[in-house]
Amino acid sequence: MSQPEIFRSHAPAPLPPHSIAIPAARETVLANGLSVVVVEDHRLPLVSYRLAFRVGGAFDPPGLPGLTDLLAGLLPEGTESKTSRELADEVARMGASLSAGANSDYTIVAASALSRFNDEILGLMAEVVLQPSFPENEVELAKQNTKESLRQQRAQPSFLASEMVSRVMFGDHPYSVVAPTPESIDRATRDEFVKFHRARFVPNSAVFIVVGDVKQEQIVKRVESLFSTWERGADLVTNFPAPPVRTRRTAYLVDRRGSAQSNIVVANSSIIRTSPDYFPMLLMHTVLGANASSRLFMNLREEKGYTYGAYTNLDARRTAGSFRATAEVRTPVTGDSLKEFLYELDRISKEPVSEKEINDAKSYLTGVFPIRLETQEGLTDQLVQIKMLNLPDDYLQHYRDRVQAVTVADIQRVAAKYVKPDEAAVIVVGDGAAVLDQIKPYCPDIEIYNTSGKRKSLDAPATTDIEGTWSIEVETPLGQSIPATLTLTRESQGFVAKIVSEMGTADLGAVNVNDNSFRTTTFLEMDGHSVEAEIFARFHGDQTEGTLKLQNSPSLPFTGSKD
Amino acid sequence: MNRENKLVADTFQLPPTPIEEFTLTNGLRVVLSPDRAIPVVSVAVYYDVGSRNEREGRTGFAHLFEHMMFQGSENVPKAAHFQYIFNAGGTMNGTTSTERTNYFETLPSNYLPLAFWLESDRMRSLKVTQENLDNQRHAVQEEKRLRYDNQPYVNAFLRMNELIFKNAANAHSTIGSMEDLDAATIDDVREFFRIYYAPNNAVLSVVGDFDSSEARALVDKYFGGISSQPLPPPVDVSEPQDVSIPEETFHDQLAPAPAFVLGWKIPPRRTPDFYALSLAGSLLFEGDSSRLYQKLVKGDESVVSIEGGVDERRGPSALYIFALPKPGQEVNTIRRQIFEEIDRVATDGPTEAEMEKLRNSLCNDAVRGRQSTMYRAQRLAEFALYDSDARLIDSELDHYLNVTAADIKQAVARFLTGANRVVLDIVPAPAAADTEEPVSATPQPPGDPHQPASPAPLIPDMPSPEPPSPLNAEVPQLQSVPSEQPKDPAEPPRQTGPLHP
Repeated sequence: MSQPEIFRSHAPAPLPPHSIAIPAARETVLANGLSVVVVEDHRLPLVSYRLAFRVGGAFDPPGLPGLTDLLAGLLPEGTESKTSRELADEVARMGASLSAGANSDYTIVAASALSRFNDEILGLMAEVVLQPSFPENEVELAKQNTKESLRQQRAQPSFLASEMVSRVMFGDHPYSVVAPTPESIDRATRDEFVKFHRARFVPNSAVFIVVGDVKQEQIVKRVESLFSTWERGADLVTNFPAPPVRTRRTAYLVDRRGSAQSNIVVANSSIIRTSPDYFPMLLMHTVLGANASSRLFMNLREEKGYTYGAYTNLDARRTAGSFRATAEVRTPVTGDSLKEFLYELDRISKEPVSEKEINDAKSYLTGVFPIRLETQEGLTDQLVQIKMLNLPDDYLQHYRDRVQAVTVADIQRVAAKYVKPDEAAVIVVGDGAAVLDQIKPYCPDIEIYNTSGKRKSLDAPATTDIEGTWSIEVETPLGQSIPATLTLTRESQGFVAKIVSEMGTADLGAVNVNDNSFRTTTFLEMDGHSVEAEIFARFHGDQTEGTLKLQNSPSLPFTGSKD
Repeated sequence: MNRENKLVADTFQLPPTPIEEFTLTNGLRVVLSPDRAIPVVSVAVYYDVGSRNEREGRTGFAHLFEHMMFQGSENVPKAAHFQYIFNAGGTMNGTTSTERTNYFETLPSNYLPLAFWLESDRMRSLKVTQENLDNQRHAVQEEKRLRYDNQPYVNAFLRMNELIFKNAANAHSTIGSMEDLDAATIDDVREFFRIYYAPNNAVLSVVGDFDSSEARALVDKYFGGISSQPLPPPVDVSEPQDVSIPEETFHDQLAPAPAFVLGWKIPPRRTPDFYALSLAGSLLFEGDSSRLYQKLVKGDESVVSIEGGVDERRGPSALYIFALPKPGQEVNTIRRQIFEEIDRVATDGPTEAEMEKLRNSLCNDAVRGRQSTMYRAQRLAEFALYDSDARLIDSELDHYLNVTAADIKQAVARFLTGANRVVLDIVPAPAAADTEEPVSATPQPPGDPHQPASPAPLIPDMPSPEPPSPLNAEVPQLQSVPSEQPKDPAEPPRQTGPLHP
């Protein structure tokens, strides 16, 4: 070991902070309403582009959730003069990137390229935004891919948790829907895309943001020449139903059998992004759960070891918001984790935070701020949010002052106003049988759902007779859902079973039902071959679930209910 | 060099990186690169120790140490490292690869002394105690259980190393053997720290908003008094040309569908053949316009995904391709098509359009990466550590830009051959005979094929803000910097920017 050095005994004080020059954004509004915001930054020969529209998933037409995002994804997949492949090749040739997507509040067409390709990239962006052709084959492929990714998402407990929390927190407000369904994807025809594109993707709801090695006047001129024929459309009317008012704590258990972990979300309603309570909420969120030195992380991970990480989420959007505490915890400590969540939520809503905590939170937020502005993407993302969520134009200039201005009393006021563990929605995605009794002590009111979002009961009523016909859906790895019927007929010794689907009929013969389940092996005729198949089914009340395993193939899960 | 190449090389110039290099008397190599544009500073400490330094019977030590380095030192309490960084608004992490172990943080620039205090205290006085060792052994074993044993396809990737490489220094995984970790005594671990965590076995690089003479004085103050150590034993990573085991079948209980991995042993980084093969990899599997993506994902629609990567090492390296066929597709046919496409490159070489695309992508990636001080700090540290020349950060691009179509053709013909290849078939293993079938997942590719066998970073991704994901120290870190604004948490991740190509 080296010589003792006294100066090491304490963390060094920070040096005086260096000032940050917030880059000036210059905005020009064209005659058709399109706003062009440019920040010149000549440090590197690089440019970032965002064409952002104030239309997001919240504006999806009735019955067509996911339409906006699908549409956005289709913009670079074909125009009146170029195929998807030609567009991709052209972007790749420049070493550039071009993509599009939507969230609930807005849609973005994004690009980035070396500055010497400025004219080409702007031209391509104009082409995909103004003249998308929505080719039938690309529409079909996008629909298939979306169904596939939906299938993959449904296998993720975090998705199931997000789906349930949105549903219960937002009710009739469109934020309640986080993803399309296979049926809504089927309904999204080419005509719907064309119609929606014409009506909603209009210059008066759009902002073109350009950051990088450009000259402002040249950008405005070029954008004007490319987009001047684009005609103004109707302004968006935002008139969404209010989210439901919660009055009592309720648990929503999504039963995901065999789940090794429980995903927990404890949610309250909260603010919209432009709320005057935003900065106090931001500080409260930072103290409670924004990062790995916040209370939740220190308690649930560092002290208790229940989880890899526990956080809060300040979900403040344009027209509604929620405040969520989340963690993925080991199944046996689901109840213990809920106890700690409720304890921390209760504590912050009742007791003032310490001076050290508020100061740490302020130094965190003011420190992270310049880091956020280090890259073009960082600044561009900030500008997009400012424009899309209606924040003041000088938001970045005053950000750190507004953080510094928040007091302990402000935090306590907003915590008492928005953090209400007694009215919270408690979402748990986990193995129902293993976690139900763990949840009960903290939430006497429990609603149970299957992974498809249907209400179910865990206590199998002994009265339901398993004899009869069951409608089941077999899920394939490709995302298809194959409907079938499982019929059980009582015979003298037990049951005879049969599965009928579009692929044929399989007689399972006599099956031994034990403890409301059976497992049997049979041979199915497929394409002229005889394939060994193992079927397992279990029944709870009027619900059934199980697996179908063909020789040399992965097992296919199915769920169903009694007709 | 053909005409087109010359044109690109002539017209494209990276802005030169200001660099000051010096070595302290204790042997610590220091690279400073001031950039006063934004009040942010990034600090990276690279230790010249990775799994390549581990002897048989002592595997997994380098990675275990990455964990130990956060367990406290003489003046920094256990776990306080995170707290200091996060409370200042900074981000940090540590990662381990075959080549090195790195630690890094980005902070508001007025916190530079904090970064030096934290890094120097653990370099000079890490608390290697029995309690910390036991504790972190368990943490690593838990990490292995969660990130490797509980994920489809991941352990197959670990096996690939053993099939490609013959030399034990190259063949074992970074996560190592749990038995070896269990067998480690406190004395073994102390000795490992003394040998490898010495200032003369490390590089410190600092990029961002600081005054050079001030930074130099701080480096002296915090790092100057740390004692140097005898140099670590030399490492032999030499390999015969042929692969260890050319074919194998891996039974994966978690795999929902069959898949396969192909691997080739290729020459070390910074050799002409490596540059050429790395570009060959790009045109085969990088991005939606790549040959294999267009052929198999778009054209035939026979695979769910195809991914590839280059495992870049100072010694013999590797190139991988992972394919996840759609269920019901003939695996052998897909494999044959991949080999045929590679043979086409070996016979006809890349097209001029492909060369243009490769060169523009190289310039674009080089420029984009430079936006981040952390990216620059990592690159500078790497070049200083591996090549004793931090200035390669500006000139390395030229080596890639100067690769010709003929170079690629020749390198592919020579190295991406059947004789030099490993084929690992991954087949779903029969499910254990239980009645509780787990929820079945659709096939998904394993994590990052660029670093197929590297352990997860120490700190998990948070919903928001996100720490930097250091899995790809070799490529620009292009993800968003932290933001207090949740990215619409109610929704699944979106591809709303070029950040997620």
